[in-house]
Amino acid sequence: MSQAPLGRACAAVLRRDLTLAWRRRGDIAMPVLYALIVTTLFPFALGPENALLQRIAGGAVLVTVLLAMLLALDGMFRSDIEDGSLEQLVLAPQPLALMLGMKILAHWLTTALPLIVIAPMLASMLQLPSTVIPVLLLALALATPMLSLLGAVLVALTAGTRRSGMLLALMLLPLCVPVVIFAAGALAAAQQGLPWIAPIAWLGAALALALVLAPLGCAAALRIALDA
Amino acid sequence: MTVSAPPLLAASALSFYRQDEPVFGPLQFELHPGQLALVEGDNGSGKTTLLRVLAGLLHVDEGELHWRGEPLRRDACAGEIIFLGHQLGLKGDLSPRENLRIAAGLHGERDGQDPARALREVGLAGYEDEPVRRLSAGQKKRAALARLLLVPATLWLLDEPYANLDRHGIALVNRLLERHVAAGGAALVTSHGAVSFHGGEPQRIRMHA
Repeated sequence: MSQAPLGRACAAVLRRDLTLAWRRRGDIAMPVLYALIVTTLFPFALGPENALLQRIAGGAVLVTVLLAMLLALDGMFRSDIEDGSLEQLVLAPQPLALMLGMKILAHWLTTALPLIVIAPMLASMLQLPSTVIPVLLLALALATPMLSLLGAVLVALTAGTRRSGMLLALMLLPLCVPVVIFAAGALAAAQQGLPWIAPIAWLGAALALALVLAPLGCAAALRIALDA
Repeated sequence: MTVSAPPLLAASALSFYRQDEPVFGPLQFELHPGQLALVEGDNGSGKTTLLRVLAGLLHVDEGELHWRGEPLRRDACAGEIIFLGHQLGLKGDLSPRENLRIAAGLHGERDGQDPARALREVGLAGYEDEPVRRLSAGQKKRAALARLLLVPATLWLLDEPYANLDRHGIALVNRLLERHVAAGGAALVTSHGAVSFHGGEPQRIRMHA
């Protein structure tokens, strides 16, 4: 008999979730389409003045991407709870927090990464100066994993309850606010030619903390959810 | 096996409450390596709950559980217990082979066993690459049973393993159980009673509703 090594277990979980996401490609396209539609509608609603669009571009793209991520968030563990896969994951002789970390990573890769890829296009649709786009990408690269990690803990906390979607949105809002403030702060500073590294550093520090703590919190919350 | 060897799993005065309503218990039993126990009881008598408690999915409210003589802790028996519940833990969008690969990735594999062989043994040859959601209920059950063959574990906790299975499927479960018990494993099986086990008289755990 051979115990499964940790690396192989991580790879198995990551590969499973990526394969599942690939088999349901339409679900991945949803947030991307949503972000595209919202960004297209802004100039129609506000008028095509370049100066105005430029001013709101950074914030608008940021909020659009974060909201688009929310669409896919509450499904993170639902199917796993319904078909019993989560029980098997909990009972596996592997650290649950690490396995859930892999699930969160897979979720980020399938929902946030496509949004980051199209973010430059969204930004240029709103006339964001091309010099600011690298800062936008950096801010998104730090803000979206934050949201995935925080969201995973909340999804796990609400996993046992029915109609958890509304509860989840209410709980996530106050946690999103600081993420948006720092990311938008960096963008505004970059647009005015000011140093933007401080808010990005704050985001990075918060992400480092969330990377360590969120999977542990997620594991504890899911054990409680299964105990109900 | 010496007589003084501690039982694999021992429960004493084990009870479980859901919001102060007793679900089962107090129960008292011992399970030694090479032993099979049937958990019997009516619908709603707490058979599934008992198995979930033993698997470590639910907290023990009252009484004690011992694993090889030591108080049962999650990390002490990690990888030694396998649980097969009503929800089979199969992903509908993946094929049986892919589902088994995940199980092997998480739990490891028995020596000389691989997903294709395990699936052949449970009678799913030819269905290895079909998405699980297209299989019949009985075939899904067989795909889940293949996990028992593939993954090394000492104690099997099987909740209604005979449900949805045809005559050959039931014989298959009995064969798997006999082989597991003969190899020194132990199993706890819930059922409504229609079990024909040939390897000696199994222990019976009666749940009072």
